[in-house]
Amino acid sequence: MRSEKRKGKAVFALLLAGILLLSGCSSPEGGQSGKDSSKQQSFTAFGSGETIRILSGSENRELEDILKECAKETKVNIEISYQGSVDIMRDLEEGAADYDAVWPASSLWISMGDQQHLVKHTESVSNTPVVFGIRKSLAQELGFVGKEVSVKDLLAAIQEGKMSFCMTSATQSNSGASAYIGFLYALLGKQDAITSEDLDNPQLQQDMTRLLSGIERSSGSSEWLMEMFLEGDYDAMVNYECLIISANQSLEKEGKEPLYVVYPYDGLSIADSPLGYVDHGKEKKEKAFLKIQDYLLSESVQNQIQRTGRRTGYGGVKEENKDIFNPDWGIDTDRTLSTITMPSAEVLTQALNLYQSKLRKPSLTAYCLDFSGSMIGEGNEQLVQAMAQVLLQENAEKNFLQAGERDVNLVITFDDGIIHTYGARDASSASLEELYKAAEEERPGGGTDIYLPAMEALREMKENYDLTQYTPAVILMTDGMSNGSTDIRDFQEFYRREQMDVPVFSIMFGDAQESQLEELAEFTNARVFDGREDLIGAFRSVKGYN
Amino acid sequence: MKSKIAGVLVLILVILGGGGYYLYSQNNRTEVLRGYLGGEKTGLFEDEEVQEILKKKYHIEFDYAKAGSLDMVTADHKDMDYLFPSSQTALALYEDQIGDPVQDQIIFNTPIVLYTHQNIKDAFQKQGAVTEENGVFYMDMEKLVQMIMADTQWADIGLKDLYGRISVDTTDPVKSNSGNMFAALLASVLNGGEAVDEQTGEEVLPELKEIYSRLGYMESSSSDIFDQFLKMGIGAKPMIAGYESQILEFAAENPEDYEQLKEDIVMIYPTPTVWSTHVYIALDEQGKKGTEALLDEDVQRLAWEKHGFRTSNYETLEKGGGQAVEELAGEITRVVPVPDYPAMKRIIEGL
Repeated sequence: MRSEKRKGKAVFALLLAGILLLSGCSSPEGGQSGKDSSKQQSFTAFGSGETIRILSGSENRELEDILKECAKETKVNIEISYQGSVDIMRDLEEGAADYDAVWPASSLWISMGDQQHLVKHTESVSNTPVVFGIRKSLAQELGFVGKEVSVKDLLAAIQEGKMSFCMTSATQSNSGASAYIGFLYALLGKQDAITSEDLDNPQLQQDMTRLLSGIERSSGSSEWLMEMFLEGDYDAMVNYECLIISANQSLEKEGKEPLYVVYPYDGLSIADSPLGYVDHGKEKKEKAFLKIQDYLLSESVQNQIQRTGRRTGYGGVKEENKDIFNPDWGIDTDRTLSTITMPSAEVLTQALNLYQSKLRKPSLTAYCLDFSGSMIGEGNEQLVQAMAQVLLQENAEKNFLQAGERDVNLVITFDDGIIHTYGARDASSASLEELYKAAEEERPGGGTDIYLPAMEALREMKENYDLTQYTPAVILMTDGMSNGSTDIRDFQEFYRREQMDVPVFSIMFGDAQESQLEELAEFTNARVFDGREDLIGAFRSVKGYN
Repeated sequence: MKSKIAGVLVLILVILGGGGYYLYSQNNRTEVLRGYLGGEKTGLFEDEEVQEILKKKYHIEFDYAKAGSLDMVTADHKDMDYLFPSSQTALALYEDQIGDPVQDQIIFNTPIVLYTHQNIKDAFQKQGAVTEENGVFYMDMEKLVQMIMADTQWADIGLKDLYGRISVDTTDPVKSNSGNMFAALLASVLNGGEAVDEQTGEEVLPELKEIYSRLGYMESSSSDIFDQFLKMGIGAKPMIAGYESQILEFAAENPEDYEQLKEDIVMIYPTPTVWSTHVYIALDEQGKKGTEALLDEDVQRLAWEKHGFRTSNYETLEKGGGQAVEELAGEITRVVPVPDYPAMKRIIEGL
């Protein structure tokens, strides 16, 4: 890494930059691109400049206007990709080669993930506590208004069936992980750090399983959870104070009841939103990063960030921003916020594995695999590889995708008809490997009908399983291009007639066409992912929605 | 014709100028030294005044990756020219695991202190654990350790808003130096105020483990924990252990923020405390150039005035960060030595 710099070279580079600037490679000011705006967004500065690629928690989607302005002001292009914080940690462990900066919800995930010592210039941009937001009338009814409430009190309301709630997946997102760890403390009745032995306690596991089975909906990241919450009709959610504020602004606009914020006195956690530079040895990127960071930390921008409901600076919330932190919603900025003691890194990893493999609500997943002629070659290879990532448990474990003990997996292979329907006997590694082998041995050929297998999967699920006990999902793995005997109208009719509420996700392969898949996803409240770009991400997102 | 001559002249001038510039730049080439740096010193390395001196006088520039003092010894040293940890324990660990370094040199020192909030300090003062002398606050470590071992709750000393037991948050003693030094300090206190050796270190280990097992997750960087202390509020980090230099640097670099914060936050010197010794370790010949540069008189002056590290200049308390931080002690007298490496090794392995 020893490098020598000569001033002459720098002068030349400057000239070159000038020429490039003059030659005018300007892109539309503040232009945005990206297929799925909830996963990725870019903000283009006027003229040519460095591009900083940020891997960020989805809660920062709310800062997009500020980032757009930032790109303009600093003349640095910003590309931002969203992921849950736990996923960001995993990306950092691998070296985060595709990113120049990370911006998870909490610094915990940087310190745990940065095993290669790549991250520097880490600065907290704002902070916001993880809280419970509960429909105000229900909070009143349960006696949570104007009173000190513990996590245990909240759990009691959930366990007695008086309150349903949503939270993000603990193995993907910071707010979900904080809540889950907070629940563990409350169930153990403990103050000191949780130990490995605590986690082995069968009573604890039983209580936790029951608690998690009460989760109405889950998601892979906090902002997506808020969106989902606003779409549905739920009692409560665990989320950041700033997102509850944002949700309340939407709710009141629609004339709906706002959520009341409860800060448990024994604490959940505070997200300190650290923005850190990932050093891949590129000096210009480092300078560009620092420009962005300086901009975000400047006084006026910190004030703008405060107006999005985030706490910034050292002096607390400013008088002029008190209108945002509305006390009628239970927001209290003067209160002392206690945080739980996060367990040590080893125990935390163990706790997350336990959640994934044993405690979370079991999933019921039907994979519908496209073996039509158009998949011959590349498409089929990608598909079989993908199944190896999720069904072969030694692969799955690396990405927290491993099957839980009570999970059910089905595989349906199809072309323009159903070829085979396989069910794994149980969730053991051996059974899932058999399922994988079946898929591996199947040979592609024939036409395509994506609706038949989707309906077949739903029929299987409905006939053989109690859907309230599972989080069900159908995952179509295909290149789209359905040309069989059924179409979307047949599917819609079936879905309505059977009164299904199971999302039909798609993961695209080969020479994929999105339109038919989008149509299916929209109709069933699901999403379409590109398996050729980020397969693991796609699986993890699908599992998060599970 | 005239214009032709003029053109040729211009051309010659350009060539001469360019050549001259090339020669000039050859003499002024800057060498980039790459290494691992403890987080508490990034402010010094990022200081433009310091960078200017290093570049002009020594023709070097420091590039760094941030790592805990102990972590950096065991990290990958490929393409690295130096390590700049915060303790001699890190140097001893290096000697133990890798061998004699190319060169090592103490650059400056800073004592371990406690940072907390005014109302917590007041509560400890009422308990007789914190005393004030000439505006400087001291924590009786024996009393503090007794309270911790007796499971005293914050509420028991009158702090009803705080949940849980009295504790001091530190960085991970296995990875980072400030946490490691604080563990050494606790060990000495548990050993009746004497620095532990291998034997006595073993004896106090169970109690030490008991204290640490309650802390759970620990940050690996002293700068991160200090930043969180300042920003996350009293409930998240009631009291932390850190370096004296941190508040001095913060006050010098952010005078307005410090003005706002000083009503609430306060530095307390543990009695006894330990010195953290910042040793520069050169890993190769290139790295050796850093030693000389860091000992430069002006760099040393800036290290104290703007970044709070006690160098040979530190008696000039009125200068720099010291001016704003009223509870800064002139001299640090009540100090226990850091245990020898075999004892520290026992503690690190035991925790």
